[in-house]
Amino acid sequence: MNKLPVALTRHDANKIARYTKRRKQFSAAFYALCVAIALLSVAILVVLLMSIGIEGQSRLSTDLLTRSHSELQPQRSGMWPAIVGSLLVCGTCGLLALPLGIGTAIFLEEFKPRNRWLLRLRSFVQLNVSNLAGVPSIVYGLLGLTMFVYMFNLFGQIQVNQSSGWELMGAKHLYQVLTLEPDHAVFIPQTNRNQNQITIDRPLDGLDQDWNPIAIDVWAPGTPQPKDPEVRRRTVAAGTTGGTVTDKAWYYFRLPLDRSFLAGGLTLGLVILPIIIIASQEALRSVPSSLREASLGLGATNWQTVRDVTFPAAVPGIMTGAILAMGRAIGEAAPILMVLGATISKESGPRHLMDNAVTMPVLIFNWAGRQQQEFKQLSAAAIIVLLVTLLILNSVAILIRHKIQQSQP
Amino acid sequence: MALPKALQEQDFKSTTTGMLSERLIVSCLALCALTTVLITVGIIYMLISQSVGFFSSDQITLREFVTGTEWTALQSKQLQQSKFGILPLLSGTLRVTTVAMLIALPLGLITAIYLSEFASPWIRSWLKPTLEIIAGVPTVVFGYFAILVISPSLQWFSGGGFATFNATSAGIAVGILCLPMVCSLSEDAMRAVPNSLREGAYGLGCTPYETAVKVVVPAAFSGIVSAFLLAFSRAIGETMIVALAAGTLPTFSADPTRQAQTMTGFIVEMIKSENEYGTVQHFSLYAVAVTLFAITFLMTLLGQMIRRRFQESYE
Repeated sequence: MNKLPVALTRHDANKIARYTKRRKQFSAAFYALCVAIALLSVAILVVLLMSIGIEGQSRLSTDLLTRSHSELQPQRSGMWPAIVGSLLVCGTCGLLALPLGIGTAIFLEEFKPRNRWLLRLRSFVQLNVSNLAGVPSIVYGLLGLTMFVYMFNLFGQIQVNQSSGWELMGAKHLYQVLTLEPDHAVFIPQTNRNQNQITIDRPLDGLDQDWNPIAIDVWAPGTPQPKDPEVRRRTVAAGTTGGTVTDKAWYYFRLPLDRSFLAGGLTLGLVILPIIIIASQEALRSVPSSLREASLGLGATNWQTVRDVTFPAAVPGIMTGAILAMGRAIGEAAPILMVLGATISKESGPRHLMDNAVTMPVLIFNWAGRQQQEFKQLSAAAIIVLLVTLLILNSVAILIRHKIQQSQP
Repeated sequence: MALPKALQEQDFKSTTTGMLSERLIVSCLALCALTTVLITVGIIYMLISQSVGFFSSDQITLREFVTGTEWTALQSKQLQQSKFGILPLLSGTLRVTTVAMLIALPLGLITAIYLSEFASPWIRSWLKPTLEIIAGVPTVVFGYFAILVISPSLQWFSGGGFATFNATSAGIAVGILCLPMVCSLSEDAMRAVPNSLREGAYGLGCTPYETAVKVVVPAAFSGIVSAFLLAFSRAIGETMIVALAAGTLPTFSADPTRQAQTMTGFIVEMIKSENEYGTVQHFSLYAVAVTLFAITFLMTLLGQMIRRRFQESYE
């Protein structure tokens, strides 16, 4: 049987040539489309950076870096409190997320259980981590708001500007009483927290403005006033009332955490935790298993292997992932907005652990949403500062990776 | 023959304490891993317990919440007259997300095809970092870009057909944000396709286009679909861009040139208005967040499952 296949008997050279030519042209056109679209992403980045640069360059000055937000003087507003706030919030966030994330990654990668149930638990934790990575950051913000700021209202109804809940340490409650000398006050420690006022009618022991103990004298109206300023500074007119003030040391701590930068940092920590876990896992996975086996073969235990062999080998990868995650944390606005609120009128960074803070993205968000042109320009300038911060962070990551890779044979 | 030093001295450390500390450390690490589970439990507990507070109020029933076409939690003068129907917020989210996906999916996929199939190493070494930079830009910056550049140019092109704040400009910005993600995940999937398939296609006379689109893309299909789903869930949860560029009026329509408040946009607006803890308005936050969380969680879960279940192995 010498019948040829259909394709060979019915060949029409012209038609095939035309068809092939069309296919080739189509392919070339597709290639051109690919190049054009790939270039588009470069173009987008260029337009983005250019437009923000042009809009913000007029406001890049030392004022921007050293002053604080001012409602009335947009031309002299700055972002110093936001820079400090961002750094502190991200520091807190790193302190929470790095140990927790790296620990989880080590557990998931290096301690593979043999027990069937533990194996199931492990794969559940793994699935859970990848799901957490997909949760929108604003939901984490809501979690932070409920868990850290209000603590599920376990400590009673939160009211604005009133301390409620448990003050654990660092707070001194005092009565402030004005003395005869203008602009000078003495302080008397509060004994009963429910008593909001004190009336001075007899000499008491108290503190002066520099917290040195002094004896407070009472001057009865009608008698001659003391002349010596030293004495006047610790003499109070009889019947003067004083209100309460709270002096908060830097380690002031209370529950619930309220709208504090600590709560903000912890919330951000939750946001970047899955990112750190996934990056560290990849770094650990890329360590060749021959290293691990050699260590185990020499009689090291599992943990000794991790501590002395696997972890040091994975450090460059983990560091890179961690720094990228910190970059994400610095730029993240939604959770911070949820936890710390939208107020930006702070004149300095946080003064104590429970102090509110402004961060750069929240400030940018607030400025960008305003009508005045000055604030829009300020916003662009602040974006430039934020991007430069990110750039520095990423260069540090690259440097660290290079250093560590060079020091290792 | 001298014995090794360790054997001469016979000074062995006890292994019992070593075993104990090993146990201790492993349980510490396990505790770390359990915290991640606790976070999920915390999220779910918070969402459920707080939205119970919302649905148990007299002002709202579950049916009204799901089918109502008016959302006036912040607009109405009197708190009692607020209407809580999720549909306007959902439609806003859907409009923004649709525009975003129309941008991110085709562009991301084609860029991924280019990177994995055609690009020379030199171009790759430029294009990949560019995409990584775009992926690392904070979202609030894209929001600012949307109101600074995208929205005015849309208005200019359409001759004023777009509102100042509109769903399209926010959607375009979200699309740009999702592009690197779609691109890198799809590219990973395509690079995992073994070269023998490509060589087979070329050997049968396929053009580069036919090889890429008819052989490599179908082979990497599960990875690409999961990339799409993850990008979709990222776009739904995106907050700062829509809070800046999409406007603050919840509208129930399909018109992408109008204002659109999304679910995330509402949450931000609510926080800015600083309602007291315990009011119905405050609890409505959680009801919206439950909806948002449920949608994104399902998307992510589905994406993970598709990637695991339908991953083709070419061993």
